[in-house]
Amino acid sequence: MMTAARFSWPREGLVLGGFAALVLAMPLWLPWIGGYEALATKIVIWAIFALGFDILLGFTAYLSFGHAAFFGTSAYITGLMLKHASTSIIWALFASAVGTLVLAFILGGLILRRSGIYFSILSLAFAQMLHAAALSIFARWTGGDNGLTMDTAPELLGMHMEGQPMFYFAALLLIAGFVAARQIKRSPLGLMLQAVKENHMRLEYTGVNVMGYKIAAYVISAVYAGVAGSLMVIYEPYVATKFLNWSTSGEVVIMSVIGGVNTLVGPMLGAGFMLYFENVVQGLIGAQWKLVLGLIFVLVVIFLPGGFVDLWRRLRRRFGPAPDRRDNVPDAPGSLLEQREARYKAIEEEA
Amino acid sequence: MSGHLINSLTLQVLTGLQLGAIYALIALGLTLIFGTLGVVNFAHGALYLVAAYCAVFIANSLGFGWGVVLVPTILFAAGWIMERGLVRHFYTRPHTDQILVTFGLAIVVEEALKWGFGSNNIPYPAPAWGSGIVRLHDYLGFLEGFVVFPKWRLVLIGVSLAVIVALFALLRLTTFGLVIRAGMRDAGMLRFLGVNISQRFALVFGLGALIAGVAGVFGGPITQVSPEVGMHLLVPSFLVVVIGGMGSLEGALIAAMLLGMALSFSAQYSAVQQIIIYLVAVVVLLVRPRGLLGKKGVFE
Repeated sequence: MMTAARFSWPREGLVLGGFAALVLAMPLWLPWIGGYEALATKIVIWAIFALGFDILLGFTAYLSFGHAAFFGTSAYITGLMLKHASTSIIWALFASAVGTLVLAFILGGLILRRSGIYFSILSLAFAQMLHAAALSIFARWTGGDNGLTMDTAPELLGMHMEGQPMFYFAALLLIAGFVAARQIKRSPLGLMLQAVKENHMRLEYTGVNVMGYKIAAYVISAVYAGVAGSLMVIYEPYVATKFLNWSTSGEVVIMSVIGGVNTLVGPMLGAGFMLYFENVVQGLIGAQWKLVLGLIFVLVVIFLPGGFVDLWRRLRRRFGPAPDRRDNVPDAPGSLLEQREARYKAIEEEA
Repeated sequence: MSGHLINSLTLQVLTGLQLGAIYALIALGLTLIFGTLGVVNFAHGALYLVAAYCAVFIANSLGFGWGVVLVPTILFAAGWIMERGLVRHFYTRPHTDQILVTFGLAIVVEEALKWGFGSNNIPYPAPAWGSGIVRLHDYLGFLEGFVVFPKWRLVLIGVSLAVIVALFALLRLTTFGLVIRAGMRDAGMLRFLGVNISQRFALVFGLGALIAGVAGVFGGPITQVSPEVGMHLLVPSFLVVVIGGMGSLEGALIAAMLLGMALSFSAQYSAVQQIIIYLVAVVVLLVRPRGLLGKKGVFE
């Protein structure tokens, strides 16, 4: 079912205000549950990545296994800019955004011609190609297997980007990204993307430029991934070759699916859950956190395809108050059908 | 032509054949499962891993011969159970869910192996009768001087050839194969004709896993045995399946050989060799998006 969410300022203000408060206060509340301040920055960065990923996977149902391409490329561009050009992160962010855009247009033009399984495999293959290229052809610039290290201190308008300033900078970008994603979801573009997901063939027959919309979704989600990759390098001035590897793509897939695809909030929740698991739960159960996480992922895919966000909905449906109107049963008392018939009868009697 | 050129050409062709053989063994199982059941099995690399680990331990304790018999049997059972217990419930769900659940399974298997046996290489020497080198110049008259090739790599080429011939014979010459090929076209119609298609699907999945088992036993000494190997092989195998045209066994064979040769002949330029298989994939798919032998309209 596809309906445009009704827009009302009080409700929107409440959602965004609540979200912003939750994110900005993360360094305060995270330590209560065993986390630490530095983890908050990482969570925020990965949440940006996952949020962008949901714009592609959630809106259009194109499952990319190659989003590490944008995360990693942007990370390398940022690293090279910081190392060789300027310590100001404005230029680094700008250059990596341009680089990500160009790359997304090229890759999108190639692999969006196919859908479904083909798309997943091709996105994986092309991202692995970039990974291999970074290790071989571009090794002179990327540092090959050792990754790219730099000893410069990134700064924004003279302020060193580390610790709290870094967290708030990333958090503001996440909040801005969330606002933008909600706007996109409500906009005609967002509705078109949902239509692509429902039936792209039918849409094409009605004369819509489906490819254009798909590219738009792909490029937008790539830019989110690029911003995340860039922030990662500003936060920790080191580019690991892992950033371009398929395992990074896999991580963002796991986050999104565990949290709940097509909900915007779900993937961010998943990002928080996964990093919490990696950094805090690992201390409790040791190196096997990945095995446990893999099991949780499989169980979610099998039994809870809507992710954690859906768990809440399911619990409410089971234990919450019974709905007073039974819309799903056509001729139940008080159903939409019955209401409509009652209205027709009233109109007829009036006439 | 100078002797040196002929010698290196022969060695490169043999290396390409051997690389193509291992890709083909993995990709045939993948494409068989995909073509028949429409399932993209991201856990196929994990099946290879399980096979290689089983092979190491069986070969060390019972001897290599038992490995050849037992490992494919174990893998057949594993594939059968995997289809009955898990994959079967995903036929009616979106393709993305099938990818996700097999991907999750691959992670679980890889991590479980890491937990049990560590993430280092496990030594898996080829059996005594297959180790050492073959003096090619004794057999091939046109070679000049002293030309040798590892014996085990020739064994691998031979085994792959045997598996490929057996698989094609099974599919082309038996009633079982006829039903499977019909199932690739229209599973619903077979059900109307009274064939227990659900049971056949489980057998096909088992068969795909069995081929991965053979690959694990014979490929293990070459690809090495460590938890990362599964994914390292899976990506090129997917490329083989896509380049060949999804669901086409002949296409997969041609594509496997194409990639093997491309890898072998670019070995002198190590920078290019890392990305050569992706470059081949890009070129093929730009010219022919549905793959070499892909049929129009199938999974497009």
